[in-house]
Amino acid sequence: MIRNLQELYQYRALLWALSMRELRARYRASVLGFLWTFLNPTLSMAVYGLVFGVLMENPPPRYPFYLFCGLLPWIFFSSSILGGTTSVSDRKDLLTKVRFPAQVLPAYVVLTNLINFVLSLPLLFVLGLAFQDVPSWHLVFIVPLLALQTLFTLAITYLLSALNVAFRDLQHIMANVMQLAFFLTPVLWDVRTLKGIERFGVAVSAEELQRIVVLANPMAALMTAWRDVFFTHRIPDWEPLAVVAGLTLVVLWLSTAVFERRREEFAELV
Amino acid sequence: MSNALVIDNVTKHFQKRSKRNEITTVKSEIVRILKGQRKVIEPATHIEALKGVSLTVPRGATMGIVGRNGSGKSTLLKLVTGIYSPTAGSIQVNGRISALLELGAGFHPDFTGRENILINGIILGMSRTEVKSRVDQIIEFAELGDFIDEPVRTYSSGMFMRLAFAVATHVDPDILIIDEILSVGDEHFGRKSSAKMNEFRQSGKTILFVTHDLGRIETWCDSAVWIDGGRTRMVGDPRQVVAAYRQAVSAAEDEGARTGRSALSAPGVALPQVDAPPVEAVKSPVHVVDVRLRDGVGAQPSAFSAEGALDVHVDVELSTSARCELSIEIATLEGISLFKTQYAAGQLEQGTATMRLSLPRLGLGDGAHVLTATAWSDGLPPQALSKSLVVAPNPSATGLVRPEHAWSTEPRREVASPQPLVKPAVQA
Repeated sequence: MIRNLQELYQYRALLWALSMRELRARYRASVLGFLWTFLNPTLSMAVYGLVFGVLMENPPPRYPFYLFCGLLPWIFFSSSILGGTTSVSDRKDLLTKVRFPAQVLPAYVVLTNLINFVLSLPLLFVLGLAFQDVPSWHLVFIVPLLALQTLFTLAITYLLSALNVAFRDLQHIMANVMQLAFFLTPVLWDVRTLKGIERFGVAVSAEELQRIVVLANPMAALMTAWRDVFFTHRIPDWEPLAVVAGLTLVVLWLSTAVFERRREEFAELV
Repeated sequence: MSNALVIDNVTKHFQKRSKRNEITTVKSEIVRILKGQRKVIEPATHIEALKGVSLTVPRGATMGIVGRNGSGKSTLLKLVTGIYSPTAGSIQVNGRISALLELGAGFHPDFTGRENILINGIILGMSRTEVKSRVDQIIEFAELGDFIDEPVRTYSSGMFMRLAFAVATHVDPDILIIDEILSVGDEHFGRKSSAKMNEFRQSGKTILFVTHDLGRIETWCDSAVWIDGGRTRMVGDPRQVVAAYRQAVSAAEDEGARTGRSALSAPGVALPQVDAPPVEAVKSPVHVVDVRLRDGVGAQPSAFSAEGALDVHVDVELSTSARCELSIEIATLEGISLFKTQYAAGQLEQGTATMRLSLPRLGLGDGAHVLTATAWSDGLPPQALSKSLVVAPNPSATGLVRPEHAWSTEPRREVASPQPLVKPAVQA
């Protein structure tokens, strides 16, 4: 795992060049250009905001802003996963023709989406100001949160990209999985509004349920933390984040091991 | 370390994918597990691309690889480059390696030539600062003019290849791996890329290259290897290897013509054995040291005129006093002999002797040729040295040779009027 990350650092020039090209390719020859970065989250926010914030009864306060705080990190995560899954299998041209460090491929997809996320943050603050919300000192938590989510995403992307070379339908399965994960992760809803349930003879109190959701779903933990920083202006709970950090280390160790073992076959299988 | 490359007993297997399960899927795996089937590994599903290949390339040497399609040449290059890893055996590489297996890897059509130089250079292993410092050289070499700031998708295929070749050759490696890409661009660029390759050789880089241009193997390489059916068939002097290879291919063609079945039709199958070329048992006392090509006025032009004179000076070194015979042959790059002449120089003293062949009029078609001077003594193995001979293009005639000729118009003659057809009489 350490060696893998070291190599990644070694190839940082390549990583950076590929990411920059990806970003610029996305906006090249388009009228809106750089505004495309904002368009996707803004449109999603508009639709969800309309449905849950306006059309439904008792809309939560400042719902569009609330939504946006969750959508941005979610788009960072899901685009990385979906793009990363096919990142190795789609680059036959590079893998079979030049000696190419394969781990750069999933990594640059994650990096590209990370840059996109950071570039969208100003829009988030503008929206916050529109709702009379002034950013607080809690923004310092952005850095560790970002590092944590990036590593977590990278770990999963490594694993999926390596597996997708052998099992090509994984990319379609992942598209569905991400759709389900979107609803299971508190992007549209709030963990802290969950009430206790009592069904099938099992009684779970509200507090316990909230704890289970956050501990079982790393993205729920991260999402809640992002909201704490941007929306509720409080210090994120360290406990679920520590679980995510531990999990990240385990998955990263596992996925780099899988990746390293399979990378020799990449050139033959893609 | 004197060896740039040591390939030791390398074997490479590929998994053969039958049509039925071309790509395994998660679904198919789950179905298989649910049905309780065990994964069957059939030994027959392996393809042996290379079987126990060993090669050593000394530092600064140029080695050519010949062989039929599917014989494993490219697999070997990919193993050396590190794209594939060997199933068995080991490969030791001493130095920075650059592979020109395919040009333009990672080019993005929407980006300008200049932008693609940067990313392609980084992909090929240069650092950002290295690329930046060489950009101007690369642009100059590619001769794209103002097109360098246009998107690559607007390029003609020749322009694309030129740019890609320019980037690839400016990586400045210790070891250069080339797979069939020297035929890039037009005549002029072809010459330029040949010159670039020569520059690499002279600056002491190690070059390993695959080509079907056998003339080039003969003129450029210090040694050659013939790979056939995944094995090394022959290693050694490029002329001998190429000759043996040509012999085997024509033998296979003859056999194919006779029996209707040929070893050439099946990929990866070894060519038939032909009599092995003579092994150099006795060291020949004569050696061709240098071959110099001069025109009528003693100059050394980059291209000779077909109408002009050619003087060939051959320096021969004799280790003892010996009888010496010499032949000079001019052939096309494809190996077609255009002209060959032999000369018995008689008994010569120990030391260096220079022999001269004068052609008052060259009389060859345009393009690159290979001139080979061979010297031998009394049935001992011959010693040869080849030089590239380029004949300048001449607009008034094409073809391999250019005999003295003149056109004229004959004075007009009366043409006899055709006889009317006689109809056979019809009987009433």
